[in-house]
Amino acid sequence: MSTRMDVDILLVEDNPDDLELTLHALRREHLANNIFTVRDGEEALEFLFCNGKFEDRDSDHPPRLVLLDLKLPKLNGLEVLKKIKQDARTKAVPVVILTSSKEERDLVASYNMGANSYIQKPVDFEQFREIVRNTGLYWMVINQQPMSSPAQSAAAAASH
Amino acid sequence: MSTSQQNGICKKKLRLLVVEDSLSDAEIQVAELRRNGFDVSADITDTGDRVREFLATISYDLILADYSLPNFSGMETLDILREKHLSIPVILVTGALNSETAVECVKQGVTDYVLKDHLARLSTCVRRALEETRLRQERARAQEQLAQKVEELARSNCDLEQFAYVASHDLQEPLRMVAAYTQLLAERYRGKLDDSADRYIGYAVEGATRMQALLEDLLAFSRVGRNGFVRKPIHANVAVDEALRNLTIAIKEQGATVTRGTLPTIVADRVHLVQLFQNLIGNAIKFRGQEPPRITIAAEKQGEEWAFSLSDNGIGIAPEHRDFIFKMFQRLHTRAEYAGNGVGLAICKKIVERHGGRIWVESELGHGSTFRFTFPATAADRTDMKEADHELAQDLVSR
Amino acid sequence: MSSHKILLVDDNPADSNLTCEVLATSERPAQVNTVQDGEQALQFLHRTGKFSDATRPDLVILDLNLPRKDGRAVLAEVKADPDLNEVPVVVFTTSHSPRDIARCYELGANSYVSKPGNLGQFFSAVRSIEQFWFGFASLPN
Repeated sequence: MSTRMDVDILLVEDNPDDLELTLHALRREHLANNIFTVRDGEEALEFLFCNGKFEDRDSDHPPRLVLLDLKLPKLNGLEVLKKIKQDARTKAVPVVILTSSKEERDLVASYNMGANSYIQKPVDFEQFREIVRNTGLYWMVINQQPMSSPAQSAAAAASH
Repeated sequence: MSTSQQNGICKKKLRLLVVEDSLSDAEIQVAELRRNGFDVSADITDTGDRVREFLATISYDLILADYSLPNFSGMETLDILREKHLSIPVILVTGALNSETAVECVKQGVTDYVLKDHLARLSTCVRRALEETRLRQERARAQEQLAQKVEELARSNCDLEQFAYVASHDLQEPLRMVAAYTQLLAERYRGKLDDSADRYIGYAVEGATRMQALLEDLLAFSRVGRNGFVRKPIHANVAVDEALRNLTIAIKEQGATVTRGTLPTIVADRVHLVQLFQNLIGNAIKFRGQEPPRITIAAEKQGEEWAFSLSDNGIGIAPEHRDFIFKMFQRLHTRAEYAGNGVGLAICKKIVERHGGRIWVESELGHGSTFRFTFPATAADRTDMKEADHELAQDLVSR
Repeated sequence: MSSHKILLVDDNPADSNLTCEVLATSERPAQVNTVQDGEQALQFLHRTGKFSDATRPDLVILDLNLPRKDGRAVLAEVKADPDLNEVPVVVFTTSHSPRDIARCYELGANSYVSKPGNLGQFFSAVRSIEQFWFGFASLPN
């Protein structure tokens, strides 16, 4: 099980078509060595907080990016976002909402809740791929990610 | 301790405290020592209070103590010495003493013991005790000096590294401005001014770009082993993976392939380990031959070390240059031939040596190179090297 | 359709000039307002003082080392303010320090981009910021 290794991107997506498109677009650009997928909000939180199914995960290595859909079974995306951004252990992890919702209130709520960015999934297949590709490029290459964990940041801080 | 002249014979001066309730016994002991080359001045007492008083005012070379006294036990003298943090040797001079008690007394801190009816041994014992004390003091002094030197050196290194870091770091910003705007000038005005202007701007751009690269290299060099050098068990594959990720473009452009054998987990600072592999693999790609670069990484256990090797099929290095290339800023080629400032291998050497290893190269011109470096296999999981240095200093002083 | 608005907070005119030049090359150039210190940045965002006529930007590009009020303080204030916290803030600074990076994310920065030393890379970085936030991301109105 690859949960022990460093996960670059955590993809939280329950729609199988969207999932496949997203994975394909990301893999084509070689943006991430290790993309892990969960299908609902509960699993997403278990993964990030290293409990439940993912107890054996190392909490010192959160993913470098979370791509989070809003419409999820068990626990919706906004709830997941809230839990991530309100916990000191995970609030620094970049979370990009990747959703089909066009509701302004979802957008505003997401940014208010601390989402790093909000992307609307285009209906068109080509545009979808293009947007995922550019999102991946920006967040994995241009953007500087935080150190893996508070402990590691502290260690890094001591070295500067 | 000093000597004195008496009838032309050199006698050793001895400041003695005798803890004894029988005055005649005390005098016999002193006489025995005087007969055997000691210039003795002695104080005699049999109570704890007087012992304390004497110790407070006089600096004794030695104490002779009777084991059992009515008011005071000879062993209590040891307690008083410990209390006052004095390390004067104590020789027990006593009547019958069974061997278990004797051994117990020595364990408790008595230097030696002599039976009153075997006083002939006394002067030998005294001489031996004094010699031991002298040696101990010398050793402590030497270690203290060493500890001081170590701390001074550590501090001086720290200062230097900080200076190097601050200097390079603060220079980056204005340099960036010069570099960016001279490049912009070059782009916007090329061909629009005269030929001289184009040339001058070109030189300015080149100078600025080289300064930037140099500063980056200096910063990287000074970063090795600065405060907070954290060593943890890390699998070499993780470091190699990260190095390869950082070199993605170069690998793709040059069509390089990197193969590896089974690599171990070692105790190392992750960032520096990645830098080490990145520099070596990067060099192997840069100094390629006609064929696409083929790099092989391997490791094998040799005694208490892991010996790594990184082989390439590049242009190779002549034997006479094998040491030279690890020096700071030393290059074997002109800038027109190969880019770079000559700091990469100096950084590698610093990283490896900081971890307690060695690095060297085996190579021939035109036949590729194999860089070999070692990492200790059973390093204690020590963090902060500076802490380790400080601990060492403390340890030496406290011996 | 009205153009996007950017608030650029940078105390180094050489850098802000370069940034503006790159932003101007966009297909739909944004309207850029530049301020040189943290206090002015906050005044602009709160629309107070000499900035009472200002309109809220769609994106803030924020340097960290600023006079009067440094970028971290600006970031903290903006992200703690319920009226302002939805405005995306991209920290764009020379610092590569992991401590700075971590701190900014903790304070709520949306993104952190290090200013490259090389001109070509600088251009790419600014272009990428502009392209992503205005071309692909959805922003609050």
